[in-house]
Amino acid sequence: MLRNYFVLIAIGASLAAGSITARAQDAGALLDLLVKKKLITDQEAEEVRGELTRDAATTAAGKWKISAPVTEVELYGDMRVRYEGRQGTTAGVLPGTPGPDDTLKRSRERYRLRLGLRGTLADDWFFGMRFETSTNPRSTNVTFGDDAGPFGKTSDTLGVGQAYLGYSGFRDVRLTVGKMPNPLVTTLMVWDADINPEGMAEQWKHSYNFSFGGGTTTAAAETYGKDSKSTAAVVEAEPFKVKLDLFVNLAQFVYDDANPENPLGPRTVGGGKLVPNSDNWLLAWQVGARLNFPKNIYFQVAPVLYTYTGNGDSFNTFFVGGQQGLTNTASMATNQVGTNSLMVLEVPAEFGFKIGEIPVRIFGDFAVNLDADDRAIAAGHPEAQNERYAWQLGAGIGQLKTKGDMQLQAFWQHTEQYSLDPNLVDSDFFDSRVNIEGVVVQAGYALSDAVIFNLSYGYGRRSNRSLGTGGVGDIAINPLDKYQIFQADLNVKF
Amino acid sequence: MKLTHLLTALALAFVTTEALAEKLVIKGSDTLGAKLVPQLAEQFKSQHPGTTFDIAAEGSTTGIAAIIDGTAQIGMSSRRAKPAEVGQASAKGVHMKPTIVAYDGIAVIVNSANSIKSLTKKQVEQIFTGEVTDWSAVGGSGGKISIYTRNTSSGTYSDFKELAMKKRDYAGGSQKMAGNEQIASEVGKNPNGVGYVGLAYTKAGGIKVIPIDGVLPSTQTVHAKTYPYARPTFYYTNGDPAGLAKQFLDFTISAAGQKIVQQVGFVPIP
Repeated sequence: MLRNYFVLIAIGASLAAGSITARAQDAGALLDLLVKKKLITDQEAEEVRGELTRDAATTAAGKWKISAPVTEVELYGDMRVRYEGRQGTTAGVLPGTPGPDDTLKRSRERYRLRLGLRGTLADDWFFGMRFETSTNPRSTNVTFGDDAGPFGKTSDTLGVGQAYLGYSGFRDVRLTVGKMPNPLVTTLMVWDADINPEGMAEQWKHSYNFSFGGGTTTAAAETYGKDSKSTAAVVEAEPFKVKLDLFVNLAQFVYDDANPENPLGPRTVGGGKLVPNSDNWLLAWQVGARLNFPKNIYFQVAPVLYTYTGNGDSFNTFFVGGQQGLTNTASMATNQVGTNSLMVLEVPAEFGFKIGEIPVRIFGDFAVNLDADDRAIAAGHPEAQNERYAWQLGAGIGQLKTKGDMQLQAFWQHTEQYSLDPNLVDSDFFDSRVNIEGVVVQAGYALSDAVIFNLSYGYGRRSNRSLGTGGVGDIAINPLDKYQIFQADLNVKF
Repeated sequence: MKLTHLLTALALAFVTTEALAEKLVIKGSDTLGAKLVPQLAEQFKSQHPGTTFDIAAEGSTTGIAAIIDGTAQIGMSSRRAKPAEVGQASAKGVHMKPTIVAYDGIAVIVNSANSIKSLTKKQVEQIFTGEVTDWSAVGGSGGKISIYTRNTSSGTYSDFKELAMKKRDYAGGSQKMAGNEQIASEVGKNPNGVGYVGLAYTKAGGIKVIPIDGVLPSTQTVHAKTYPYARPTFYYTNGDPAGLAKQFLDFTISAAGQKIVQQVGFVPIP
């Protein structure tokens, strides 16, 4: 009995070291082992188990009930407060109002909240959901004081940002359906990071390991110490190891739903043409490779081809993207969102290494619209058929993982008027536009493991000065001749 | 005045009778309450004349609930109290104390005409979750599987889900029975039936017990914990039992009580 008494004290002490939830969960196996080894009786084990269950049940964690098929669940999210100032300048020669070189400024204080739940289910299923502020597909920001108020709540609503489920039961394969985090390897040049595309994705990834050389032995030189002769050690040469990750990402996103597919009476006509009565799908085919060398050196490249089925009832008219020589209002009223003649090949790439313990990465992206000639002709600019390229080149140093970490990053970006889908490009640094080029500089500092302070600055200018700057941004100017943005962010992640 | 005296005398007589005839209220598990506890009660009564029992065997959940709301002195349970129940009890100032009174092996039974000789744990899980719907898929001679389970207030229902089904849900078409005897009876009548019962209910006619991974439930395999669906069974009390409840609990785990445990078909405390 005395031994049992000490065993029970030992259980209590050892379990007390863990969290209350962990204690209750771990107790079963530990108690079973102690019973099996006849260190305690079943009855004693039951009494300890009962005490632990009681402790766990009275804690906040113990009151949560999660259904049995959920094998793992994670609550995560972030909150950010931001000061932002952005401004744009009209073209130098612009008939009508506003005048040339006029500037539109917008400064605002904003916040965003994202709250997510993701996890795995029995039998290799997984799920995720995330609630986000703002209804804008390319932003989760809410501007303070921008709704009925003071201190109104009209714009402070949470929307479903992500709702997806998937299956990972086939080796190396992950299938996802729903409104999901972007499954493609890409950059801000092509995809705004806030977009959660809707549809299906099929991903495959496999790793291959290679060893080159090594296995040879070398006799080290004999050495003599003060008191004895040292035995010569045999040094084995390390092989050069390379890990190759190959991956394929396929996606079928519902870009625009046609409603209805079969109307009563004759089909709708817009601009003298029949409005398509089938959905517009964005299809993506990506293959990629990441080579991981020793000493944290890696290189990744992931070409992806995007095509559009071209239907739907919202983006089916020809893209123009603004027009030099029109009034600002008339230029902005031209079509900014059409997805006609877009077959974009994107090639994002990244090279990373370390200087001491500091990670460094050099990254870039290149994109070409293989149908840009048709897009330019449809926009009324047959002379601009070569406006088909976009690229980005940048470098970053540092990381933001733990308290005290710092990161610096800068990149140059150039996009031509008919190179990319203006509905997807980043909404911040170049105001959701194409035909713009410029630089972005960002600096971050981790005030704690969970709190990060960021400063960002972007400057852009119109790339081809005979064309508009396609896309719908926050600065109501087209062509947008010059553009600047400054952001100061305080982020909390959990 | 005479009438008042008569009523007072009657009331005193009633109170005296009640005081002499102590009553023990026991609620809960059908596994324990259908056979074992009534036999223990009979034996106990012979040693404690004047004691009466009120035994209601409607499932472990009802036994634990009865301890929480104070409507029974002993709650019979073939499963451990769930964290939510323990939390609910704590909130009411009730201290759920479990005492192991016997062991049991949940036996998987089929109709004696069934050609199945053995099942694996995986096959049992597949059968009861509905992943497998025909006997031919698990080595039988064919026929649509009919599943019989206990109802949701049963501790055996929960225990089997945990021990045999990785906490997955039962197959949609499974039929829920009120007690072990009903399950044994239905499986005995249905050539394609399958169900589970406590060890004490395996002697019913028309059924046979299936070894799981080659192991049959028995005193030895339950004690050695080699039978996968072995489990302790409990009396729950509010804190340490006292009075009549303590006497009955002590009797249950005494040599005399454990002899009855064995006679009924349960596995005694080693």
